[in-house]
Amino acid sequence: MPIHEEHLIRPENLKTHENLVIDGVDVSGHWSTFIESRVVTDYNEAIEEEISSLPGGEFIHRCWQCGSCTNSCTVNAVNPEFNPRYWIYLIRMGMESELLRDRDIIWQCVSCNKCTYACPRDVMPEGVMKATAHWLELKGHTPKSPSTVFDEVFAGQVIETGKIEEGRVLRHFLKRTGQPMIQPWLVEMVKRMVFGLPLKMLIHLGLANIFRPRTSQWARARSAINEYVAEKEDEHQTALGLDDLVELAKQEVTSKSTPAGE
Amino acid sequence: MTKPVLIVGGGPAGLAAAHSLASIGQKCILVEKEDRLGGAPILSGYAKLVPSGEWAKDAIGGMVSRVENNKLVEIKTGTIVNEFSGNPGSFSAKLSDGKTIKASSAILSTGFTHFDSVNKPEWGFGTFENVVTTTQVEQMISSGQGVRCPSDGRKPKRVAILLCVGSRDRQIGREWCSKICCTVSANLAMEIREELEDCHVYIYYMDIRTFGLYETSYYWRSQEEFKVKYIKARIAEVTQKDDKLIVKGEDTLVKRPITIPFDMVVHAIGMDPNVDNMLISTIFGIDLEPHGFIGKQNSYGDIGATSRPGVFIAGAATGPESIDDSIAQGHAAAMSAYAVAQGAGKVAAE
Repeated sequence: MPIHEEHLIRPENLKTHENLVIDGVDVSGHWSTFIESRVVTDYNEAIEEEISSLPGGEFIHRCWQCGSCTNSCTVNAVNPEFNPRYWIYLIRMGMESELLRDRDIIWQCVSCNKCTYACPRDVMPEGVMKATAHWLELKGHTPKSPSTVFDEVFAGQVIETGKIEEGRVLRHFLKRTGQPMIQPWLVEMVKRMVFGLPLKMLIHLGLANIFRPRTSQWARARSAINEYVAEKEDEHQTALGLDDLVELAKQEVTSKSTPAGE
Repeated sequence: MTKPVLIVGGGPAGLAAAHSLASIGQKCILVEKEDRLGGAPILSGYAKLVPSGEWAKDAIGGMVSRVENNKLVEIKTGTIVNEFSGNPGSFSAKLSDGKTIKASSAILSTGFTHFDSVNKPEWGFGTFENVVTTTQVEQMISSGQGVRCPSDGRKPKRVAILLCVGSRDRQIGREWCSKICCTVSANLAMEIREELEDCHVYIYYMDIRTFGLYETSYYWRSQEEFKVKYIKARIAEVTQKDDKLIVKGEDTLVKRPITIPFDMVVHAIGMDPNVDNMLISTIFGIDLEPHGFIGKQNSYGDIGATSRPGVFIAGAATGPESIDDSIAQGHAAAMSAYAVAQGAGKVAAE
């Protein structure tokens, strides 16, 4: 049977068989195309619990689906596929496969927080978007986004020295995201800095890059922060049910490092 | 001494009317067809009431004993009114115990009847053991037994509450909103979550009508503190597979058919007109409104007036009503009846 408005049907739900006979009736070929139904057959309660355990996702259960977040969304205005209301629902009902279909859009949130101020129930949709992107990364559904890499580089340096040196952050960020160090906008910026900034400041910048100054007596603060970060990471790992996976990976590493024949 | 006021029905509205009248020195006779007072909250074994959270047996039980202990209230349980005649100030009622009483006026607080879910067979009540009504869940809680699947006594892991069962449904001739089921269901959902931490509760709704201040204390609270999930869908059918109930419908927010397994399905049953309303209408000579509840004569001047002067109504006899509003109407009808008893009623009625 020819299918009208075929573009509305997901291609993977169209089933055509080369050779198929059901109860003696030949249903092979294009004229016997089946459309697979998209019935939701279960709720997966774990996903809401997982995402609400990540920072930003705590209030997702408050959502009553009014759509204020989507209506106020900056990204939605550019990309109608970007729909926080819809994702919040998928998460709440545990429709994981549907959520994963949009894995390459969810990270596009620009954190303008217009939704935060529009939401009548204080769901904090911007936080939910952040938590969801984080969840996708932790679960291995998406690679680390550039902004996650930036956060790591930035926070890593603060934790290490108690200070920030922008030049170093930028260099490490570009390196880790595989971007070239020489970029037109960067060259232009450095040029203007060299000509425009007072000499004293330039010297200061240069020295800071060579000597990497630290906040005095930073070591205690650093160990406290590291301890806290490790604790939080453990919490998230447990909440997302990743403990077993991590354990497996550890064992794999150990078994590989063990010389063969022992 | 004026003739007593006849009060028919010993639920919250009737109890409030009796207490009101007695407290201003007016004698009254309270006729109740069941063998004890208290009405639906007591007879059907409700658990914690909206909005106070008090147990029904304490809150309404308190109203019962207050009336029972009042010498100005004569109580006749297990009794109905068979005949009623006369005019405001001098009515005469023949009771089922054979006695005839004189009354100056009458208050009908005859209440409602719970919708019988068997009339929505597609939702499985009466077919599958684990499909129950809100009243049954109330009883599970109030009896101390706890919320359990009737089939095998197991603790449910997932419960669906279907709203508007016997309400807002032209298919079965019930076009009214029963007003209290949304709030009651949110209340029950919280009680289930409180008792069974691992049990997820889903409420299937067409609209949520937790009116007025119940918005925050029931609708919001059930979501924010108890993580109850609300799904906008009217269920098509409930079937059974092994020990699970399969709930079919359309999740309207994602335009997707759903067939979800549940351990227990709860019907949030609505309020029907009292099954005896035709009889009551005939005996007392009063009109019913189009849905079958007892008709109100006007909404503002005298809210308890029926089509017959000197006969007043209060509570869920007039349409779906909350307990606190029924009590308020009981007090209001008492005031109107008192005016007739004191001889001022004739003027007011005209």
